[in-house]
Amino acid sequence: MNENLFSSFITPTMMGLPIVILIIMFPTLLFPIPTRLINNRLVSAQQWLAQLILKQMMMMHSPKGRTWALMLISLIMFIGSTNLLGLLPHSFTPTTQLSMNLGMAIPLWAGAVITGFRYKTKASLAHFLPQGTPVPLIPMLVIIETISLFIQPMALAVRLTANITAGHLLMHLIGGAALALISISPTTALITFIILILLTILEFAVALIQAYVFTLLVSLYLHDNT
Amino acid sequence: MPQLDTSTWLVTIIAMILTLFVLIQLKFHKYSYPLSPAPKTFKSTSFPTPWETKWTKIYSPLLLPQQ
Repeated sequence: MNENLFSSFITPTMMGLPIVILIIMFPTLLFPIPTRLINNRLVSAQQWLAQLILKQMMMMHSPKGRTWALMLISLIMFIGSTNLLGLLPHSFTPTTQLSMNLGMAIPLWAGAVITGFRYKTKASLAHFLPQGTPVPLIPMLVIIETISLFIQPMALAVRLTANITAGHLLMHLIGGAALALISISPTTALITFIILILLTILEFAVALIQAYVFTLLVSLYLHDNT
Repeated sequence: MPQLDTSTWLVTIIAMILTLFVLIQLKFHKYSYPLSPAPKTFKSTSFPTPWETKWTKIYSPLLLPQQ
């Protein structure tokens, strides 16, 4: 049963070819490039959405932080579209792979921190010691702050992986339970089915929220360092 | 857990880096948000030539040396 349950999280290969590459690149096909002054509905809607997100996210940043606008909007659209596509039945969700999430979190976090060290060295080092700490506590607090700094990329990656994986696993389990219960007791199967519908609605929300949280936290680390 | 099988990690990370840092950014790079069209104020672009900035009396046609 274990093998069967986790089999949807194995990176797909077809006859030895890693088609996971095509699956990861697929969401880019869903964002057409605008070629006109007035575009079709799909492109206009995506442009409107991108502008909404950009205005909300980049308002709190300095001009230096706003140079990251393209990166952040690409990040949130990529994670959001990948998560939503993963809710289709039998699909593979790349964001369930710890490798991909670590590959996203570590370079972005490191970029923000290194930018902070280069341009505002004193201020970024000052983050290790909050204001107003009693003198005897200083060494311990520096150690705690260092640990909390280095855990940020790990937390980013594991948060996204765990949330999406857990949601998909729950849907598999409850769906399997509903199917098995039909022949035993249809009312319980109906209740389980309603739970499955509620869970699917939750998963839609989680897909979007996780994209938002990831991007927001990267944006926060950027704000601290620019 | 299949996510911890590191044999596929390289392929996944390279595909993700390519997609996130190249493909998707190429799509969003082309989004433009032009300002609504509004008339621009006209500014004179012609500058007076050096001999026209100062009018000197000697260039008055009736004061030129008579031919």
